Amino acid sequence: VSLEVPCPNCGQRPYTEFTFGGELRDLRSDDAEADYRRVYLRNNVAGEQTERWFHAFGCRRWLTIRRDTVTNVFHEPGSGIDPVRG
Amino acid sequence: VASIRFEGRSVQLRSDDTVAAALFRGGVRTFTRSIKHHRPRGLYCLTGDCANCLVNVDGTPAVRSCVTLAEDGMRVRREGGWPSTERDLLAVADRLHPVMPVGFYHKTFIRPRIAWPLAERVIRRATGIGTLPTGRTPGRKPARTAHTDVLVIGAGPAGLAAAGAAAEDGASVLLCDEARIGERLPPGPALERVRALREEVSPNTGITLLERHMAVGVYEGPFVPLVGEREVVHVYPGRVIVATGAVETHPVFAGNDRPGVWLGRGAVRMVAGHGVPIGDRVVVVAGTSEGVDHLRALVDAGANVVAAVIPPGSEPPPRTPLLAADARVASVLGRRGVGSVVLETATGERRIACDALVVSIGTTPRDGLLRMATGLPVVGAGEVVSPGCSLDEAVESGASAAAGSDVAGAAAEAPPRGSAGYVCVCEDVTVHDLETAWREGWRSAEILKRYTTATMGACQGALCARHLASLAERGVSASSRSNGALTTARPPARPVPLEDLAAGVFEVVEKRSALHDRHLAAGGRIDRSGSWMRPYTYGDVSDEYRAVRERVSVMDVGTLGKFLIGGRDAATLVERMFPCNVADLAPMRTRYLLALDEAGYVMDDGLVCALGDGRYYVTSTSGGAEQMDAWLRNWIDRYGLHAHVIDQTAMLGAINVAGPRSRELLERLSDANLGATALPPMGAADVTVAGIRCRALRVGFVGELSFELHHPRGRSAELWDALIGSGGDLGIRPHGLDALDVLRLEKGHVYLGQDTLPDDHPGKLGLSWAVDMTKPDFIGRTSLERMAAFPLERRLAGLTFDSPPQRGAPLLVGDRVVGRITSCASSPALGAPIGLGWIRAVDGAFPTEMRAGTVTATVVATPFYDPKGERQRA
Repeated sequence: VSLEVPCPNCGQRPYTEFTFGGELRDLRSDDAEADYRRVYLRNNVAGEQTERWFHAFGCRRWLTIRRDTVTNVFHEPGSGIDPVRG
Repeated sequence: VASIRFEGRSVQLRSDDTVAAALFRGGVRTFTRSIKHHRPRGLYCLTGDCANCLVNVDGTPAVRSCVTLAEDGMRVRREGGWPSTERDLLAVADRLHPVMPVGFYHKTFIRPRIAWPLAERVIRRATGIGTLPTGRTPGRKPARTAHTDVLVIGAGPAGLAAAGAAAEDGASVLLCDEARIGERLPPGPALERVRALREEVSPNTGITLLERHMAVGVYEGPFVPLVGEREVVHVYPGRVIVATGAVETHPVFAGNDRPGVWLGRGAVRMVAGHGVPIGDRVVVVAGTSEGVDHLRALVDAGANVVAAVIPPGSEPPPRTPLLAADARVASVLGRRGVGSVVLETATGERRIACDALVVSIGTTPRDGLLRMATGLPVVGAGEVVSPGCSLDEAVESGASAAAGSDVAGAAAEAPPRGSAGYVCVCEDVTVHDLETAWREGWRSAEILKRYTTATMGACQGALCARHLASLAERGVSASSRSNGALTTARPPARPVPLEDLAAGVFEVVEKRSALHDRHLAAGGRIDRSGSWMRPYTYGDVSDEYRAVRERVSVMDVGTLGKFLIGGRDAATLVERMFPCNVADLAPMRTRYLLALDEAGYVMDDGLVCALGDGRYYVTSTSGGAEQMDAWLRNWIDRYGLHAHVIDQTAMLGAINVAGPRSRELLERLSDANLGATALPPMGAADVTVAGIRCRALRVGFVGELSFELHHPRGRSAELWDALIGSGGDLGIRPHGLDALDVLRLEKGHVYLGQDTLPDDHPGKLGLSWAVDMTKPDFIGRTSLERMAAFPLERRLAGLTFDSPPQRGAPLLVGDRVVGRITSCASSPALGAPIGLGWIRAVDGAFPTEMRAGTVTATVVATPFYDPKGERQRA
């Protein structure tokens, strides 16, 4: 236990209550090549990324949130990220 | 009188005795045997930093006896050494030291390879610091979580000042210390200062005090677990102030590890604090003003100091024979303990007979916690950043740390180098070993550490990390003030029992179905299946099998994932998420459902039933229920649909009634029309059975006429009893997972996870029929299209064998492995062993006959049993 995820419904909660959903990806792609990249390749950024977390042992809601993967600093939930399109 | 049991004798206690003090008063001098050379080791630091005093207390190994308060009735014994710690024949290892060079294992046990298992057994028995307790239930400490603005670790002068200042600024403060405040300080100005500061610390100032709570480590977050005697506290602080002080510098000279050599604080604590003399003739070597204080305290307490070295200009206590100020210890001689000390001065050597040597030549930061906190809001205060600072300076440093400034003190001075002796006492690494390693080319602190294991012992480098850094820096820099070569510190900072690390996580999920008690009463052998406890058999697997095939049987399938999907967009959600066609699914009809991920790989399977009112009822495997729930919710969210999901897994029970006479049984308990026209295969109906509302699904895994009855969980037992009670004359009996495994295998049904791999698309599993590629879009569709362009190089196949094979066995063609058996059983219906397994295409074609050991495997079409499915459709 070393991370706390700011859940918009439940507040600061230990990450062990969550399932990590990975970086936010597009829902669809324009062509086969882009789709291949969308499905199989990850950006794996060192820095800020938008990602999905599922509060499995809490409100059972998904949240879309920005986190700095280097410092593990989360940005406040509801920081203007559209959960549908990112 | 209170006493402890020590190796068969009784040792009396005085108040405030630690285990170490009681044993020392009782005459114990050798507390441990060193890990490799079996050298006797005695009390040394008495501050909980070194590993010399580890004993077994009440069955727990490696307890730091110098900081463990003795309690009446404790059972204490030493560990290590054979036949005993006191008289250890393995000490011959010490004489073998010259032929056991550093890196001994790497160099010696290379060949013959078969010798290693034997050597390992011998070595393991001869080394180690204790025996793990067996047959004992580990303690179950509760864990709690604490949030605070500021966490201060260490309640000495700097820590108390930091806590006070932070609280004054309005921050919430948690102050912890591994001891009680002042407990380990000898009488003197430091203790008085701490007591005065202590007065200011109370809960109503916004400071929560946790004494005897040890910080295990600083993790990112920051997150700091504190181990207390009766609890573990998981602290999430906004920032951390580390005020863990300093440990006295470990002097390195020949014989520096002998019992009778003491660090100054330890000696004073024993003599002045516990009132036990450490020897008849004591030599004190002081290099700092703190050392002179120790000398004075020892003389005041009545120690017979026969010689002392003090820094120039300091004032010695009266009647103390002084030696030249530049004298340094060259070596300690003696058979078991200290017999004499050889001091080296500019004018020559001098040997002084004595039985105790006290060395106090400086301080080394106790900064393990600080060094593991790179990049986190963690600062140090007091001696941990400015070793040797005055009390006023420590208090001031605490206050400025509270104000947020990163108190960078003077870098710790490198400890004086010795030409012989033990650098790392815990791991038996000498100056000679490190020099050998250096010559062999291991020329950085991190690599020297891994090669020699210096700093890797129980003290975690508290004594030796800076010695190692200093040695590693030679040739790199002439500076003696740099900490650049310090190795990375990692948690835990102190030895922690595994049971403390597990505190709060001992609750193992063990789900029970509503019928658990019925299974027990029926003699079911219940065991884990994923997170569920499920019956594997009720005693006679083959009759359970026959009941399904020939008569009627029931199975508890309440563990299946069960989801109700509703809302305006429910149909859109199901259609877009799953590869089967849902749009043309008539009301109260079910369809087999695969859940694919975006890569087109099979995640789970189940059923979807259209309820006819715009809602859908979806089931998943028992193990996949939680994932399915998250998966459904994810796509509602991502697609932005007006749909919602109710996880009914826990609120509904389900019983599968299977067998040729299952309809007959149900008709006895229900007025509903369960005929093949009213309730056809893959049909569903809301019916009343034995007075209980059920959703009956004509689906099944076992290949016989069967009805899954989904019903309110609270009435499961009632329904179960009614079914069993009415089926007596039909030969009903329940079946468990063992019979199910044979039944489903005869139908060629896969167990996801057992028969499948993470990258299986439906085609590889022979499940393409469950995918409607005419649908314009569903999750995984584009990936399936892409993969369809490639030839199938691996597929799951039905297999028959000429004799029973082993599950998991590789399948071979010639010498080439072309597959693996994932499931196998002896099929009563076929009277032969059957199975499922992976096969790989060889030169573009799948093999039809393979070998698994001595067994011949032949590829056949599935299902093995009733290939046309006539029985199921009855």
